[in-house]
Amino acid sequence: MTRKYELVYVVSPEATDQQVADLHTQIDAIVQRIGGQIEKTDNWGRRKLAYEIGPHKEGTYVLEVINGGGELLKEIDRRLKVIDLVIRHLIVRVDEEQGVVERTRARRTDTSRRRRVARGLPPERQPGEGQRGDVDDDRDDRFDLGEELR
Amino acid sequence: MNGKKSFGGGGGRGKAAAGQQGKDAQRRPMFRRRKVCKFCSDKIDDINYKDVRMLMPFVPERAKVLPRRISGTCALHQRKLRTAIMRARQLALIPYTTE
Repeated sequence: MTRKYELVYVVSPEATDQQVADLHTQIDAIVQRIGGQIEKTDNWGRRKLAYEIGPHKEGTYVLEVINGGGELLKEIDRRLKVIDLVIRHLIVRVDEEQGVVERTRARRTDTSRRRRVARGLPPERQPGEGQRGDVDDDRDDRFDLGEELR
Repeated sequence: MNGKKSFGGGGGRGKAAAGQQGKDAQRRPMFRRRKVCKFCSDKIDDINYKDVRMLMPFVPERAKVLPRRISGTCALHQRKLRTAIMRARQLALIPYTTE
């Protein structure tokens, strides 16, 4: 059973580029061994942390999209917990959520097309045509006013 | 129901301004703008923990999650927003608290 997961890990800012690359190869090795595949790797580079984690104020973020089973991710999770260089990591399963998003998107374009055709318009929205977006509301302060009425 | 509520609130406030009832009544129809869910109107289906730029407006100064009654986000999207914010917090993309 293969699922799709996203793994984000934060590497300590003291780590060299080489160490970050090594970490990637380590994860790749586990993925290869248990039978999965890394779909995408994205290094966000160094970012400021929103709060201090131990002594660190910055971190290097790396995102990996991994196809594989739960056992594989469990092993990666275990390994990342042990490695001191990684100060935070998060694994999220994404395949189901992505499916839902695609389906709603498809349904929406489908209904909008059908309605446009029913109204005798071409199925795609023409450039320069639009009912909203240009009516910018500048009375946005009304937003906060509701509370006292509760 | 909502209309009734705002009427009551208007009455409470109207005590001081009882003399200006005509003015008050005139103002009431445009008193409060109907709040709409940002994600529904902008057709954002995917509320993602990686997109900090999108989440930040819903995390005000104290770094709490902005409640639905203020932002107007619908229940479905508020729920997704909450998980996204909680995930982003784990990765130190968004603070848990300030100071």
